[in-house]
Amino acid sequence: MKVTIDVDRCQGHGRCYEVAPDVFTDDDRGRGEVIKADVPVEFEAQVLLAVSACPEKAITVS
Amino acid sequence: MADYGQGGAPSAMSPEAEAQIKAWTYERSNDPRGYYERLRAKCPVDFETHQSAANGAGGITTAAVLSRADIEEVLRNTDIFSSEMPIMGSQEPVIPLGVDPPLHSMYRRVLDPLFSPKKMAVLQPKVADAVNEMIDSFIENGEVDFSEAIAVPLPCLMFLELLGLPGAELDEMVRWKDIMIRPEIVAGSAEAGMALQAQTAGEIYGRFGAEMEKRRNAPTDDLISYFMSATVEDGRNLTDSEILRILFLLLAAGLDTVTISLQAIFNYLATHPEAQQLIHDDPDQIDNVIEELLRWETPVQTLTRIAKVDTELSGCPIAAGTHMIAALPSGNVNEEYPETLTVDLTRGDKAHLSFGGGNHRCLGSHLARMELRTVLREWHKRIPFYSIKPGTDIEWVASTLRGIDYLPLVWTSEKG
Repeated sequence: MKVTIDVDRCQGHGRCYEVAPDVFTDDDRGRGEVIKADVPVEFEAQVLLAVSACPEKAITVS
Repeated sequence: MADYGQGGAPSAMSPEAEAQIKAWTYERSNDPRGYYERLRAKCPVDFETHQSAANGAGGITTAAVLSRADIEEVLRNTDIFSSEMPIMGSQEPVIPLGVDPPLHSMYRRVLDPLFSPKKMAVLQPKVADAVNEMIDSFIENGEVDFSEAIAVPLPCLMFLELLGLPGAELDEMVRWKDIMIRPEIVAGSAEAGMALQAQTAGEIYGRFGAEMEKRRNAPTDDLISYFMSATVEDGRNLTDSEILRILFLLLAAGLDTVTISLQAIFNYLATHPEAQQLIHDDPDQIDNVIEELLRWETPVQTLTRIAKVDTELSGCPIAAGTHMIAALPSGNVNEEYPETLTVDLTRGDKAHLSFGGGNHRCLGSHLARMELRTVLREWHKRIPFYSIKPGTDIEWVASTLRGIDYLPLVWTSEKG
């Protein structure tokens, strides 16, 4: 699984790095950043939670 | 943020119209999920809600936007839906709420880092201390009005802390935010409310202006001094007017919103023993509980935008100038998404719009979450099981900000 954040959609709700802290982190503005673009299999469930929790639909997995 | 009192001319409203608006608002506050379900059954865009009646007196068309997709469109598409409108007695647009991009983006680049999760984590121990001091003062009594003892003072105290103002100003702060948020209730009528609100807005600008003067030659470690030294992208400082309009908004938008969220969440928990048991057995679920209850209760009921051009939503024509009321409860709990119709306190993954969406996403959302989580953690450590005082009729405030002014809770004090 690969994951990206659309920086134009992200508004800094902060849900991704809260529900999937192993894959996302927050920048100085509180916006999400991907720290593991190639998602280790044990974190895939976390990432799917983040996709569902993001109010801006800014996270894409492939 | 608050559609109530925007636009329109209250003096042009008949007493009958005003009474009708009150009745509608009361109905919505008592049962927002049912209220919006009934509206959705008629049309995805509703032109006949109480806001229409309120604004209609001023010749303004109002449309309540009910489908999740349309709400998201209204909040995100700033090319078509503008935030530029007067609110809460302020003569000039408040910052950043009443400003569109690209200016809005410039302000948020300065403001976002001040309210980031990392900054809020630094403030968190002070919130925990304040909550515990409050609990100390009443735990032996076995009962308390949660609103008066915690929900109202806590966010106000933290606001004073952030701004570097003395805690002794708490009462003044509470009075100001009440007048900003629900002038019609403080003053007794919409008309008197508008006058009181405008007068109070002037007082607030004066008070913050005096604080800025104090700091001009002697900066302090607080948000006011930070704003005075901050530079925006072309290298200039924020003007005094910009700083005042930011401070005004922090006061108007940052206090009651946390208060009503605490009230809604504690009312739910106090009436759901199984939810208290869940938190008792697994305190790590508190974050999920809060997200789910913010979604379910949707404390801030509506956000407003103005259509800049003729457009349409769900096939309904929208004329330029229409006030668009994004009905957040209708986006959060909606039969289009059956799983949203029930509460599941442990899931925490249902994207909700309780902090808005798009580029105006609540600037204080990380502050709000930190405060809510801290109150729930500290309270439940010391008072794990509690209920509404028997014989109490819970009365929701009939306003855009849906809270409970009187929320008496009881518990067995030896548990403390």
